[in-house]
Parts: sequence; C-alpha cells; structure tokens
Amino acid sequence: MPRISIYQEDDIPSPMRKLWQAFADNPFALMGLWAVTCLLFLAIFGPWIAPFSPEQQDPLALLLPPSWDASGTVEHFLGTDDLGRDIFSRLLHGAHLTFGIALAIVIASLSVGFVIGSISGMMKGLKSSILSHLLDALLSIPSLLMAILVVAVTGPGLGNVFWAVGIALTPQFVRAIHQAVHEELQKDYVTAAKLDGANSIQIFWYVIMPNVWETVIIQITLAISAAILDIAALGFLNLGAQAPSPEWGAMVSQGLDNILTAPWTVTIPGVAILCSVLAINLVGDGLRSALSPLRN
Amino acid sequence: MPLLDIRNLTIELDTPHGRVKALERVSLTINPGELHGLVGESGSGRSLLAKAILGVPGHNWTITADRMMWDGQNLMEMSSKQRRNLMGSEIAMIFQDPTSSLDPAISVGSQIIEAMPTNKSLPFWKRGKFKRKTAKKWLHKVGIKNTEKVMDSYAWELSEGECQKVMIAMAVANQPRLLIADEPTDAMELSTQAQIFRLLSKLNQLQNVSILLISHELETLAGWCDQLTVLYCGQVMESGPTAELLKQPFHPYTKALVDNAPDYSGALAHKSMLQTLPGSAPALQHLPIGCRLGPRCPQAQKRCVSQPSLCHKKDRYFACHFPYHIESCNDDTST
Amino acid sequence: MARYLLRRLNLFLATSLVLIGVLFIATSHFPVEQQYALTGIESPTTDQLALSRSEYRLDSNQFRQFIAYTKQRVSGNLGVSITSQKPVIDELSQVLPASFELAIVAGILAMSLGVPLGILASLSNNKITQHSIMAITLTGYSIPVFWLGLSLSLWFGVELGWLPISGRINLLYEIEPTTGFMLIDTLLSQSIYRSSAFLDAVQHIVLPAITLAVLPFTVVVRITRAAMLHIMNEPYIRAAEARGLHTGTIVLRHALPNALIPVLKNMGLMLGTFASYAMIVEVIFSWPGVGSWLVSGIYQRDYTVIQGGVLAVALIIIFFSIFIDVLHNAFNPITRKEIYAAN
Repeated sequence: MPRISIYQEDDIPSPMRKLWQAFADNPFALMGLWAVTCLLFLAIFGPWIAPFSPEQQDPLALLLPPSWDASGTVEHFLGTDDLGRDIFSRLLHGAHLTFGIALAIVIASLSVGFVIGSISGMMKGLKSSILSHLLDALLSIPSLLMAILVVAVTGPGLGNVFWAVGIALTPQFVRAIHQAVHEELQKDYVTAAKLDGANSIQIFWYVIMPNVWETVIIQITLAISAAILDIAALGFLNLGAQAPSPEWGAMVSQGLDNILTAPWTVTIPGVAILCSVLAINLVGDGLRSALSPLRN
Repeated sequence: MPLLDIRNLTIELDTPHGRVKALERVSLTINPGELHGLVGESGSGRSLLAKAILGVPGHNWTITADRMMWDGQNLMEMSSKQRRNLMGSEIAMIFQDPTSSLDPAISVGSQIIEAMPTNKSLPFWKRGKFKRKTAKKWLHKVGIKNTEKVMDSYAWELSEGECQKVMIAMAVANQPRLLIADEPTDAMELSTQAQIFRLLSKLNQLQNVSILLISHELETLAGWCDQLTVLYCGQVMESGPTAELLKQPFHPYTKALVDNAPDYSGALAHKSMLQTLPGSAPALQHLPIGCRLGPRCPQAQKRCVSQPSLCHKKDRYFACHFPYHIESCNDDTST
Repeated sequence: MARYLLRRLNLFLATSLVLIGVLFIATSHFPVEQQYALTGIESPTTDQLALSRSEYRLDSNQFRQFIAYTKQRVSGNLGVSITSQKPVIDELSQVLPASFELAIVAGILAMSLGVPLGILASLSNNKITQHSIMAITLTGYSIPVFWLGLSLSLWFGVELGWLPISGRINLLYEIEPTTGFMLIDTLLSQSIYRSSAFLDAVQHIVLPAITLAVLPFTVVVRITRAAMLHIMNEPYIRAAEARGLHTGTIVLRHALPNALIPVLKNMGLMLGTFASYAMIVEVIFSWPGVGSWLVSGIYQRDYTVIQGGVLAVALIIIFFSIFIDVLHNAFNPITRKEIYAAN
C-alpha cells in the first residue's frame, strides 16, 4: 500500500541533488552534458570506430565532397582531403588528440595549480604576496606567447603544446584557488573552527575545501574549453601538431591550400572544434547558473 | 475623508509551492496627519503591504482589492506612470537598511539633489545652486550638522543613523503627504533609534505628514503612534487608537503581544516562564485555513476555521470570533 | 591614494623583472650559441664579439649576466633581427602601431555594441530574446578565432568580394607614416587621394576588427547582463524606484555605473586571451602587426625577434592590466573603501 502523506512535508534535498535539479532544469546544459559525454566516448574509443586509418590515402578519391553533396559517397561520410584521406576518420582520431590532450593538460595543471594555490592561499603576508605576484607575471604572458617561447626553445611538436598550454593554464588555476581559499579564510566559520582548536591542515581540508570545490569545477570547465581552443590555434599556426597529424587545428591549416576548391576540408574540422567547445561551455554555464543560488 | 483607505487587499505570490495568499483581506485606514503604527512579526507581510501601497510590486505578485483609495482617487485604476508620479511627490518611503539603500557609486549629495523637485520658476542656470541649497536646508532639518561634508561623502562613509537621516531628508524633500517607514531603525543602537523616531514624530507634527510606521516591536510603536494596526501572517488582527488597544485588547493575539512585552518592574518571579503563545508562526506554504492564528490561539474553537470578518466598534476594528471583553459581530449562522 | 599608486608601480616593476628573468632563462636554452641568440648578428667581427661579450658580461656568473641582460633590454638594446639584420627595436616600433590600431578598433566595436546589448538582455523579460542573446554570445565565445577569420574572409572577401582580406591598405596608395595609425595617417597625408585612401584603410580593417571583436563582445555582453541583473535587485535601486525616478534615469545613472565596474575588471583579466587572439587574427589577415611579425619570427628561428616581441607584448599586457586596475579603483568609490580599510 502506498504511503499516504497527510502532512505537507517539506523535503529538503541535499546540495548535490539541488545542484543536479537546477542543472537538469536547463535543457541547454543537459544537451551540453550529453555532447561532452559523447565527446569523451569518442576521445577514448574513436580510433576503433574510425573506418579508415588517419593516414591512409585513397588516390581514387581525392577532394571528395561530403556524402550529402551530389558527388559525394557514403563511404567517405565527410568527404576526403587533397591526399584522399577520409575526413571522418581523421576527425575521430583527432578527437583523441585535441580533446584527450586538453583533458590531460587540464588535469596536470589543475594538480599543480591546486597545490600551489592552496599553499599560497593559506599563507599570509609577504610569502603569499611574492608567490601571487610571480604568478601574475606568468599570467600576463598570453598562452600563444608562452607557446612561442617553448617552441623557440624545443622546436615545434605536439609534446611542446602540452608544456606551452599547461604553463599558460596553471597560473589561472593557482589564482582562482588562491583567491577562493583566501576569501573563505576571512569568514567567521573559519575563525570558529580555529577557536575549536583545529590546526591549519584540518582547517584547510575539513573547513575550507568543501567550500572551494565549486570554484574549482567552474575553473575546470573554463580551462578545458580554453585548452582546446589553444591546442587548435597552435596546430593551425604549425607550432603544435605537425602536418600529417589529424589534430583538428592542424587539419584546418592543412585544408587551407584547398579552401577555394574544397571548403569542407576547412569547415568540417572547424565545426568540430566549435561544437566541442560549445558543449563544454554549455555545461560550464549550466553549472555556474545552477551553483549561483546555492552559493548565496 | 481618510488619506488612504484600503479595503480587503489581497496579495498572492507565485512560489514554487503554488500560489500563496501572503496578505489576505487586509484593511487599513490612515487619516491625514496621523502617525499610524503597523506591528507584526517578520514574515507577516508588513513589507508587502508597504510596497503595495507605494506601488512597487514584485514580478510574481497578484494584487486584488475591493478598494484602494488615495485621497479620493482609486489607486487600482491608475496607470503605472501615474503611480510613479504619485510615488515621487505624495507618497515616500524609507527602508530598513539605509546604507545599502543609497547608491554606493554616487555621492550622497547628488542623490539628494536628484530626488528634489525642480523649481520651474527659476532660470535653469540657477536651479542647480538652488537645489543644493535646499538639499542642505533639508539635511539640516533632519538634524545633520556638517551638511557640506555629508553631501560630499559616499554612503559607506556615513554611520547607519546618518544614512537613515539622509534617506528621511530625501523622502521629505518632496513634501509628501504620506511617509512609509519600513522598520527604519532595524539593527540600530537604542540612542540612534530614539533620534530617528523623534525626528519622524517631529516631522509628523510640524510638517503634517502622515506616517505609516512599520515595526516588529510593539513597545516602540506604542510610544510614538496614535493608531495601531496588528498584523499576523498576512491578516489584520486588530486596529484602533494605541492607548485603548493596549489597555483593553479585544483580540487574543493583541493580548498575547501586550503580555509578551518585557516587564522591568521586577514583579516577575525568578526563573519563571515568560509569556508567549505556543508554537511559532507558520511558513508561507503551510498556512492554516480560516483565522491564521487558529492553531496557536488560546480562545480557538471549531468556528475559527472560517475567517472572521473585521468587526467595527466605535473607532476599534478587530477580526475574531471570540474576542475578549466584547461581543463578536460574526454571526454563528454564517458558518 | 599615493601609497596605492606606489604599490602598483612596485608591482609593475617586480612583474617586469620576473618576466625578464623568464626570458633570460629561455634565451640561455635556445638551441643556438648564446651570443648569437642575444645579439642576433649573423657573422660578427671580432670587435662585435668582444663588445657583446662585455655588454652581456658573458665571462661572469649567471647573476651578473642577468643584471647585464636586464640593463641592455631596459635601455632599448634588443639586438638585431637575425633575418633582416635591422635593429629589433626599429622593427618593433613599425609593427606596434598596427597592432594597437586593430586592437583599439576591435575594442571600441566590442564595447559600443556589447554594453547596450547586455543592458537590453538584462531588461527584457522575454524568454526568447534572452535565450537567443545567450545562445549567440555562447557561440561567439566558443568559436575558434582562426576558423571564424577564415570563414569571414571566404564569404565576404572571396565569394561576395565586398571587402579586402589582407594587409592594412592597398599597396597603390603611398602614405607617409607619421603616427603609425593608418586611419589617422591617411587623413593627415597631403595626397589628393586622401579620402579614397582613408576609405580603403577602413575597408581593410573591417574584417580583422570584426573577427577580433567577437570574443570581447560576447564577454562584455555576458558580464554586463549578469552585473545588471544583480544590481537591479539591490536595495538602492528599489529605493530609487520608490523615490519616483523614471526607469531610464535609474538604469543610466544608478545601475549602469555600478554594472560597468565588473566589466572593467574582467577586461583586465581578458587582456592575455585578447592578445593571443589578436596575434592569430593578424596572421590570418596578413596584418603587419606584432603578432604576424612574431609568428614569422618563429618560423624563421629569429631568436632576437622572439625575445623582443615576447618582451614587448608581455610588458604591454602587464602595463594595461595594472592600468585597468588603477582605473577600476579610481572610478569605483567602493574599492577605495577597501583600500582604506586595508591600511
């Protein structure tokens, strides 16, 4: 027998559930979440799904338009480039590179930034200020300049992109976490915990951390989209992934020679970048608006 | 003729829990030159009533009323533009948190000047100077001494009391006929509170401004107001002249309020319980039907599930089926 | 206030020193001989070699080398370009105005369109308007700038043929560089084709400026909207309403000044990304600015150009972010309260 509720009882959902409800109420954010899940799936399993290898050249099908064009074939679903390589397969392999490396960079710079940011946030006075000013200097170097410096030292290549974008992203994490920790540290409940005799590690881990992770999550979504755009831009400028690589930005720059005769070689990888960044930004935006009432 | 006459004003809010009657059939009469007190707990809808009178409703409000007369004109029938004009010139309002009610990015002086009416008889190049002079005059009138300095300061540089005085100066600069003061002394020290109240009552006497003073403290209101209206959970419990109301409350809620007032004479036995009504005020989404005091009322009986209408005895009004000292006007047969 | 300014100046100097330190370390790791990377002289004579050894104190320890390096760079000696063998500082002074011109036009475009649209988005109650504005800005925020530039030049430059897609001005016009800003130079020049040259310069800047303006535009719209939504719920707006002020007055006099404060602050944070985007846009539209100069420098392994360009761009960004911070404090009485409270 179903329970009959006589009293109008207020069910107060947990913060996580409230967050999920607010997030799921926004159809765009949910759409973004699905797209990001698909992207993650493709980044991991893309190479196995792809019908062709990314470097396999088909001399019989040069610059074939996408399948919806009159002269296109279903075999090469998104057409081929000037060497007869299947664009669809290259995109799938490229997801592995662009999205996968972006994730790796973000994880790496998050862990470095988290450690430095929380230490500098917990510290006071001169040490903290020196640390944050040093990072301000690094933050003022745009990611592209940083990449140029790294490339000048080590030469172009996908590995250097990792360092260049990573070094450019780390200060952002440090700054966000430093500020969040520092702000929480000023609040009264921290003083209350101090008066209860908590040491600084306990204060950091049990008192401040639960209130900082929201900032971290938002920063992560921002960083992933920035990383994808940076990796693609470096690939486009030939400073990152080099010519035969199916990295999306490099694909755009490889298609440049045929932009007038075969615009799809440029358009399709560009749309792929746009869609993945858009999906991540939708999720980030949804998270931010779902979190904002919780934070106040 | 009363200055403001409201009959059966109902405000409904659209909340996630459905539509809620935050104010139910509230009636209020304010005569010219009267200092009218409105007392009620927080959440009883005092601020909603004030905003409805002023005409700044929230986006999820639905307002219905039998009549809402302002000096013979029906406020319900006015366009929002007419209401706006009325707001600036005839009805003014001051808020509970004066510091945040002033724009932090603009100096206090220019905000006062902005609120001043323009003197059309002067040529336009003299108007600015005239306004500044009038602004100083008003600041002086509300008891600010170094007016020049205050005019050039920002809101956060002044104390709470000074900010509230500035707000009052701004409100009365247009010489309104009704001033709504929504908890003007919330979170202020006692001496500052007394200053503000004295100022308000002086304005009431000298400028003949009617004042609707909203507070949760019966004692402070009792000291300053001619008339009192008691609000509970969005319903008017009782209304009448302050002295009579306190001496002989008809309504159980009013009686409870009067009994709750701390007694400093020392007559109270050591460690004895203070008088309160049992329970607490219900949340908006769980309002009881009928008289909303019902579940907490010592006099409540079966009939209280229907809302009593407002009874009128001489100059007292009360809404109760079982009042003290008097017969209710509510017929048994109506239920 | 003087103390505050002094602290900001101190911050500028310290940050610049750190930056020069980073460059110094990078220079010593370039895969060429250090002296070559420092001076850029292709086949130096023995005199030049000796001079550069003494200038950069290459015989002393690392710390003295760093001091000497800082002294040289601060005094304006950036070496000579490896490819052109001209002083880097001269090349820099030629390309910088072009970049500034592009950035200023794009910035003005973004601000003048973004702020009003942000206000409109915050005031409209219409769900469709709100959603479409948010959708447009989110797309603009996610679009890869190189792809946007390519698509725009493909449509408007090639397919429709409306606008030129490379350079600052048609090579047929000979314009004396006086200020370095093409839009001003064309107007100042004595040539009889002055007005047509100006029109040509305007046409050249349209596509790159629009491409570059997309990112700051979307950011400005979003921040303005968020700030306006927040501020319209503040008690002082309610109080202003209760005073009977008109909605227009409230928005323009009370809400907007308060809403522009976070916009200004975020512009400072956005400078780095903006500079990256500007460089890419310059490469796509062959705009002769710092970005394309630097990128061609890296293609040609021109180490002195790389050092000079990175130093100049980073210094400019540091300067402007601190400048915006100062401006933010000057215009915002509320932060002054925080400064006083901190001291």
